[in-house]
Amino acid sequence: MSLVNAVSFWFSTRVQRWLARNVPAVSIATLHRRNIFILPTSHGLLYVAATTLIFITAINYVLSLAFGLAFLMVSLFILCILHTFRNLQHLTVKGIGGDAVFAGEDASFTVLLQRQPERMHEALELKFPKGLITRADLIEGEQLRVNVYLPTRRRGVLKAPRLLVQTRFPLGLWRAWSMLDLSMRCLVYPTPVSCPLPTAVSNSGVGKGSSTQPGSDDFHGLRNYQLGDSLKQVAWKNLARGQGLKVKQFVDSSDDRFMLDWAMFAGLDAEARLSRLCYWVLKLARSDVDYGLNIPGVVISPGRGDVHRHRLLSALALWQQSQYVERLNPRPSKTGDAV
Amino acid sequence: MDVNYQIPRLALLWVLAALLLVILPGMLRLPPLILLLVLGCMGWRLLIFSGRASYPGKLVKALIVFTALPLTVLQFRSQGVGLDAAVCLLILGVVFKLLEMQYKRDIVIVIVLAYVLTMIGFIYSQTIPSGLHALLAVAVITGALVSLNRDNARNNFRDNSRLAAQLVLQSIPLTLALFILVPRIAPLWTMPLPVPSNKTGVTDEMTPGDISSLGRSAELAFRVSFDGEAPSHDRLYWRGLVLDFFDGRTWRRGGSALLDYGMIRRYPSEYRGVRQGEPVDYDVIMEPTQQTWVYGMQLAEVTTGEIVQDRNYSLHTATPITQRLRYQLRSWSAFQTDLELPRALRSRALQMPDEDNNTRSALLARELRAASTDDRDYVARVLSHYREQPFFYTLNPPLLGEASIDEFLFQTREGFCEHYAGSFVYLMRAVGIPARVVVGYHGGEYNPFEDYTMVYQYNAHAWAEVCFEGEGWVRFDPTGAVAPERISQGVEAVFANQPGFMEDSGFSMMRFRDTQWLNTLRLRLDAIDYAWNRWVVSYDQDLQLEFLEDVFGDKARSSLLWALGLSTALIFSIAAFFLLRGGQRQLRDPVTRSYLALAADLAAMGLPRRRGEGPLDYCVRVSAERPELAAAMQTVTRLYVQLCYGEQGVGSEELRQEFRMTLQTLRLRVLSRARRAGLVAVSAFSRLQ
Repeated sequence: MSLVNAVSFWFSTRVQRWLARNVPAVSIATLHRRNIFILPTSHGLLYVAATTLIFITAINYVLSLAFGLAFLMVSLFILCILHTFRNLQHLTVKGIGGDAVFAGEDASFTVLLQRQPERMHEALELKFPKGLITRADLIEGEQLRVNVYLPTRRRGVLKAPRLLVQTRFPLGLWRAWSMLDLSMRCLVYPTPVSCPLPTAVSNSGVGKGSSTQPGSDDFHGLRNYQLGDSLKQVAWKNLARGQGLKVKQFVDSSDDRFMLDWAMFAGLDAEARLSRLCYWVLKLARSDVDYGLNIPGVVISPGRGDVHRHRLLSALALWQQSQYVERLNPRPSKTGDAV
Repeated sequence: MDVNYQIPRLALLWVLAALLLVILPGMLRLPPLILLLVLGCMGWRLLIFSGRASYPGKLVKALIVFTALPLTVLQFRSQGVGLDAAVCLLILGVVFKLLEMQYKRDIVIVIVLAYVLTMIGFIYSQTIPSGLHALLAVAVITGALVSLNRDNARNNFRDNSRLAAQLVLQSIPLTLALFILVPRIAPLWTMPLPVPSNKTGVTDEMTPGDISSLGRSAELAFRVSFDGEAPSHDRLYWRGLVLDFFDGRTWRRGGSALLDYGMIRRYPSEYRGVRQGEPVDYDVIMEPTQQTWVYGMQLAEVTTGEIVQDRNYSLHTATPITQRLRYQLRSWSAFQTDLELPRALRSRALQMPDEDNNTRSALLARELRAASTDDRDYVARVLSHYREQPFFYTLNPPLLGEASIDEFLFQTREGFCEHYAGSFVYLMRAVGIPARVVVGYHGGEYNPFEDYTMVYQYNAHAWAEVCFEGEGWVRFDPTGAVAPERISQGVEAVFANQPGFMEDSGFSMMRFRDTQWLNTLRLRLDAIDYAWNRWVVSYDQDLQLEFLEDVFGDKARSSLLWALGLSTALIFSIAAFFLLRGGQRQLRDPVTRSYLALAADLAAMGLPRRRGEGPLDYCVRVSAERPELAAAMQTVTRLYVQLCYGEQGVGSEELRQEFRMTLQTLRLRVLSRARRAGLVAVSAFSRLQ
């Protein structure tokens, strides 16, 4: 099997190198003779088999009209090359970029399809390797925005692989496709993992005052029931699971500045810590509190708002991925590499 | 590959329509029970489509299959495992597939089988209507494929049929080139032929009444086109079989099969006959007869491969004629055959019935012979006997009893050609002159539109051949003695108003041959049909070579593949040109175009954009090198990036306007600077427009 693997590896590197040379990375690509490939589909092969059957029957029964039918089918098959090719030809694909996502979600890359006034492109299929197929028809408007999805696994900057644009229109006998490197990137935040906030270390934040004062705004964690606690705060579900009588703790941090710290999740490995920090960034962003981040190498002072949240999440996503740190822009491809 | 997704709803209707269209012509050949099953399955699929029924379960499917298979076997048991049974099973297979067709793969199989079913129609019929039907069927099947492969607003009846028609029509030039130029090869192996239907035309037996019954039919027997001028009507004797065995009532083929079927080529040349004068070449397209012999004028030489000539100069095929057959012959009108009649043939030509009741006829023969000087004189006396006695030529002769010759010659005296030919040969044999009956056709109707002659079933005829010592076989037609106009003008002229003539043809256009314009129409339609058969249905290796020799001369054979390759490439290129033309010139949107023009101007100034350099990087570089342009350059770049990649900018008109203005001013500045530096080409100025 290792031989097979070696051969397929060799082959795929060759293909990649060839593609890199002949269909270079651009942010906008127009499909034409040099970057469209075309081959018969399995349905096309079935059609060819039927044509062959008809041809042999025509020979054996000496049926002139059956010859005619076989030739008509051959002509249709050949003509279909042109029609399928035409369905992709002159289609312009522009990579717009992708919004940031959390690892494990599908990253959505936006692609702009543009057509020439006299051409229509039907039954287009766009997909990334291992991604879902997005179908599109460019019939009415001059251009169409479509999202192509790609599953993500790891945090960091996700460089979109080559985008497959293909079509089988009109007869499904041929598949024309192009593999475009639109140099799209998107930021992948760590997967949020919910967890209670260890109160012990939460006070290590900077700024005035402690971060948690018992309150009623935000769920904070569970602690053992003590006499005098309100029955409204008893975690009945946990009691039902036989976990003993616990009380939900809420924090009231209306005018607080809160610092999320690397040390809060001591004992876990780095990725697990990032995931938990991510969860708490999201959680705090929804609450009315200023929050900051302190992880090795990165300190972001407390603040609030969407931009701030994005800064924190980006920092988590790019932690120790130094080569990308300068690209904190959520849409790197917005700058455009080439025209 | 995700190709197994659900079928677009409309595609299913297209497939059902295509299937119905394809099965339609063959429906009558299906046994009624099977037909019911087929229609039932299609109806069920429609119900599934409209949501009123569900897909059949495994049990139901098994039940259907296991009832249908024995049913088919039972229906076709009498005919053996023939083509009909195979076709029936194929159709059943397709409609069963319909019932379990849920995914795209299944529907593609059904569609591909629909193409095959279209072809099967041609095994049964290759007429113009069936050709047109097949063309329509291919268009509908193609429409089904189109409908299957588009899932948008354009998947409607109008757009699908338009695209399908467009595809089929665009394929036709290449189809024609392939049809004409792809080398035709001989069958690879023999195939089971369709179970023969009723035999038609002249048979290999002649009982009084047989040929006159053909007079009731106005069906076409064959069509002949002559190279050069057609012989006169009285010479158009289309010789079929020789019947030389008489049992007192019926004439049959006699003698040993070896003698009959042995090819004439194997015999020494004196038996093959002496040919004299100018031969006439002609081309025959025969309607299917389910028999194994064909017709030609005596003395024929076979120029096509599939036909052999037997010892009696009759022409035979190896297999029954189930399709229209085209063959070419060369005939000599002046000839001598069997100058020395072999003993075996002589005894066959003198054979008399074992129990002969025709005593009066034999007596008459002996009396006439005694009064004659020689055999030829005797023949003349017999013919004048027919002429002088009150004999009548009629399509509706009275029935004859046991002593058929006696009854005809002395009592009824009304007969069709078989009566005259039969009694004539009997009278010859009764006095020891070798003679035999020949059946075939006589005459034909000339069609001026395509220059050919049509021979109908009512042209069926019987005549006699008599062998004289030193002269060989000589044709005599006793019918001509009774009804000379039958020979000179044809049977239509004699019987036009006689009851029974063409009676079996029902409401045939032949009945209106007196109405001028209808008759012209009839001849024209037949001419089209004839041309179709001659040039399309019968298009084979020989015709292909003939055609190519007209175009390429001597090198036809070697230039065939060249012509094929070149014409295919040419047609493909023309199609590609028209389908794929349209440039990438105006492809880029105006924004990008003007930005690129700016880059070109900057390049003229000595600041070309590097390969793969993004607008932002370029802007930084330009600003650094030419600080005086920096501000404008940055605005332009910002607007450009916004217009091209921005979320909302793509469609915004104000941004576009602003971009255009800034760019225009910037370019003017760049150009003036460049001009001062003497770097700009004149064309750069014009590009600004």
